[in-house]
Amino acid sequence: MSNETATLSQTGDTRKAARIKRETVSTVAIAIICVVLLYLSRFISPALGSWSQVETVLILGSFLVVVAFGQGLVILTGGLDLSIPALITLGGVLSTTAVGAGNPDAWFLLPAALLACGFVGFLSAVGVVWLRVPPFIMTMAMSIIVASAALGITKGTPRGYAPDAAVALMKSHILGLPSPIVFVIGFVFLGWLLQERSPLGRYLYAIGTNAEASRIAGVPVTAMQIFPYVISAMCAGFAGFMLVGYSSGATLRMGDDYLLPSIAAVVIGGSSILGGQGSFLGTVGGAFLLTILGTIISAIGLEFGLRTIIEGTIILIALLLLREELFNRIRSIRRKA
Amino acid sequence: MTDLTQTARRSEVQPPQGRLAGQTFARLLQGGLIIVILYFALYALYFYQQPRALSAGSIAALMNNTVPLALAAAGQTFVIISRGFDLSVAGVISVCNVVMAVYPLDGPGGAVMSILMCVAIGGSVGAVNGFLVAYLRLQSIAATLATMIICQGVALVILNAPGGRVADWLSYELTDRLFKTIPISGLFVLAVVLAWLYLRRTSFGISLYAIGADEHAASLSGINVRKVRFFTFVSAGVLYGLAGFMLSAQTATGNPTSGTPLLLLSFAAVALGGTSLSGGKGSLFASVMGAATLMLLQKVLFSSGVSSFYTGVFQGCVLIIAVVFSGLIEKLGERAAKL
Repeated sequence: MSNETATLSQTGDTRKAARIKRETVSTVAIAIICVVLLYLSRFISPALGSWSQVETVLILGSFLVVVAFGQGLVILTGGLDLSIPALITLGGVLSTTAVGAGNPDAWFLLPAALLACGFVGFLSAVGVVWLRVPPFIMTMAMSIIVASAALGITKGTPRGYAPDAAVALMKSHILGLPSPIVFVIGFVFLGWLLQERSPLGRYLYAIGTNAEASRIAGVPVTAMQIFPYVISAMCAGFAGFMLVGYSSGATLRMGDDYLLPSIAAVVIGGSSILGGQGSFLGTVGGAFLLTILGTIISAIGLEFGLRTIIEGTIILIALLLLREELFNRIRSIRRKA
Repeated sequence: MTDLTQTARRSEVQPPQGRLAGQTFARLLQGGLIIVILYFALYALYFYQQPRALSAGSIAALMNNTVPLALAAAGQTFVIISRGFDLSVAGVISVCNVVMAVYPLDGPGGAVMSILMCVAIGGSVGAVNGFLVAYLRLQSIAATLATMIICQGVALVILNAPGGRVADWLSYELTDRLFKTIPISGLFVLAVVLAWLYLRRTSFGISLYAIGADEHAASLSGINVRKVRFFTFVSAGVLYGLAGFMLSAQTATGNPTSGTPLLLLSFAAVALGGTSLSGGKGSLFASVMGAATLMLLQKVLFSSGVSSFYTGVFQGCVLIIAVVFSGLIEKLGERAAKL
């Protein structure tokens, strides 16, 4: 009798259990890869694998976590955001030129700068949702436009210094921890709440799986399609603000190194590029995995080209390890057992 | 009853006049009619600004500028029709470029060897991509991102800073004009377009569209999806190799990051040609024209005296407008085909 109820409840829950398992398994797998990589890096250089390296990774990875959150939301609805580098630059340039150090008006200028970034994201969304331009092309075009406008307005050389708030965010300590680490923990928690535990997040998953079905089910599809682009643009702008606080100046190419990693973090984290599938914690893992790789590889005394080859190979191996088929196989083995 | 079937059959054989015209219109649209019209309109504007624009010399110069992007976009079209993305284009072009700059082979024989080398490089990277995507089932954007990074590393290992020199024979002859009129680089693109027009009628070409439109249905109707997908990436790689070859002939020097600017532009060219990025539709010729339009646009903006800081604003706007416009026209074409 007890056996029978067990089987019954099992069959009833298999679909739900399978879905949870897939994303949890991939997140845990990435976390394990991260820890193993950190541990193994001890053998490469004695300076690695220590707590201070963990701190470095968390600080350097915080920028990627922030932009990958936005990218992840856009990818979740089946889109793609290529305007991230331009918006990081815009955020950085607005922080230094429009706000600058020691400006008493920073309390309203900084939110205004973020809103300006959000407006650019809104324009991208208008193109995607109403003009039916493919997201890839729309955000790429916006990226070209914003980058060129930033170039023209600054005449090639952004001036000014980091706002005090940015420096405070990136360079102080809270409870003995570097403040960016505290910030990133808070950001990850809020992002997780929004994407995984709020109705809003559920809507995004629904749209990414089937927009038409969600419309019939009463999801405000149009608003939910606009929302991720605005958030992604604001995240990118905020990452620009953080970068300015970290390096105390803006450059016109400061965002270029974040486009492909932002996509890679999301995809390595187990999301489908076609939308409707994935988890924010997986993305966070992907972002830190890429950052750990970066720090380890730059510590190896190899020439740049070889380091790049190793980085690409490890990304490939991670992708192969985190393949969907592999999960299915593990799942079927467990089911048999 | 029989009467009815007969009428039905007759109407199938001989569609009404208006419908036929509509279908022809729709077919022309898919073949890239809009982008051809846009290109010539832009050229007319360019000619109005610069009367020298129609001289054989400036046509050849424009053609030489266009060819690497056109070939890269042509390769990208293959992958996009099969519903995929290929980022490795940037890596392959860089590797071919540095190989040609570090190991220059002079003379016509050397040119043949170089072109074979580039095709081999592109084809083997394409084969790796194809294996990863078709057989190991990785997402195309992720797999090709990894191969792109690896290729960029290889390019940096071969040549760690811009430099080197491409064989003189190549850089002179391939940018020259045949009989002082026909740009030689254009002949390469012509050959690729002709090969495509043949290929799209073969069973490979038809399968390519089929797996892009609906992979499951394609496999149910007996198409070997894995094999077709594999060779899609190989063909694309070969075209990137050619693009790297032509880029080297044009710049005459090596640069380990020479392919990077072509990455996003190749997607822009494909989209400008009206190929939907969601697969199953599109034409290689239209992408080539899209690439030509992008390069021409730069010239027109430059000759209209737009500050070079702001060219990007115009390029971005033109890209959005062109894509919106071609979407509208396509919808009109579909409606005409249904009438």
